[in-house]
Amino acid sequence: MSAVTLSATPVLTTERLVLRAPVAADWPAFLAFTRDDRSRFVRAAEMDDEKAWRGFGHVIGHWVLRGYGMFTITAKGDDRALGMAGPWFPAAWPEPEIGWSIWHAGAEGKGYAFEAASAVRDWAREALGWTRFVSYIDRENARSEALARRLGCTPDAAAPTPGTDDVRAWRHPEGGAA
Amino acid sequence: MSLSQSFEALVPRLETPRLVLRAPRATDFDAYAAYLASERARFTGGPMDRNLAWRAFGHVVGHWVLRGYGVFVIEDKATGEALGTTGPFFPEGWPEPEIAWTLWQGEGRGIATEAALAARTWAYEALGWTSAISLILDGNTRSEALAIRLGCIRESSVTHAQFGPAGIWRHPAADTQGAGMEAYA
Repeated sequence: MSAVTLSATPVLTTERLVLRAPVAADWPAFLAFTRDDRSRFVRAAEMDDEKAWRGFGHVIGHWVLRGYGMFTITAKGDDRALGMAGPWFPAAWPEPEIGWSIWHAGAEGKGYAFEAASAVRDWAREALGWTRFVSYIDRENARSEALARRLGCTPDAAAPTPGTDDVRAWRHPEGGAA
Repeated sequence: MSLSQSFEALVPRLETPRLVLRAPRATDFDAYAAYLASERARFTGGPMDRNLAWRAFGHVVGHWVLRGYGVFVIEDKATGEALGTTGPFFPEGWPEPEIAWTLWQGEGRGIATEAALAARTWAYEALGWTSAISLILDGNTRSEALAIRLGCIRESSVTHAQFGPAGIWRHPAADTQGAGMEAYA
């Protein structure tokens, strides 16, 4: 039988990156990230490989269920998964968010997350018509907070958070695509 | 074509006398979440809240992309209702690939037997599986009865870290399945 893929998903290109739909081949990179202490701000407290698998299944399934989801971040000319970024809205989320994570330590510190998050935010505004949305960020995740500030976000104390007070909602600037 | 339509086109559609087995859809989620919130879900990882149910359903969909196969939604031909899931299933940590089944509603009509048999036949014929197990949590006597109807034999026991003690039920091998299928055809 033919492979089952997310075949109708867009591919976004930025100066240095290609953002594409997640594929089965991204699983080892995702798993390595969930095993790494660097993922502590974006994963369940009691993580194991089985939960990571189910979590990655959800990352893929979210696309089918919502029509949008996390793009895998790759560098131009190299299809290896470096992280993910995209519009994200699981059930029980108070409102839609733009999420991001850099899986590979070697991909940090290059501005990739900013470049990717900017591109997926533009896409969410243009293609999905999003105007009002947040990013949920752990209060101790200083690097992600710094990125949110670069994206023009400000903390929104009035916005509910998804089930935990460990995170704050960072409100993105409202309006259409930049 | 939308993403959900293209996904549905890639997932096979199986038919039995009373049922259609097809790709999971976003519109199935409410029935799935209602089942998982109920005490009936105690043998399939529940009861769980809507947030966790959403993630579980996302995995049901994503499993198809990760493995190339997965569980179908069982749809009642007569009413169009989604009644549960069945199909080949092999998440990380499973001892080996299994034929899974879960009835969200519509118990007592032989629905799960009809569906699981079709799913097993598909796994053997389309995926080339030569053997399969089903993992059934201890105490789930209705599912054990179904396994026996499908010709399975309890082969060994296992304790899953999250779900607890379970039986590993071995299905008849692919090359011995003929007799069961005649009764079905």
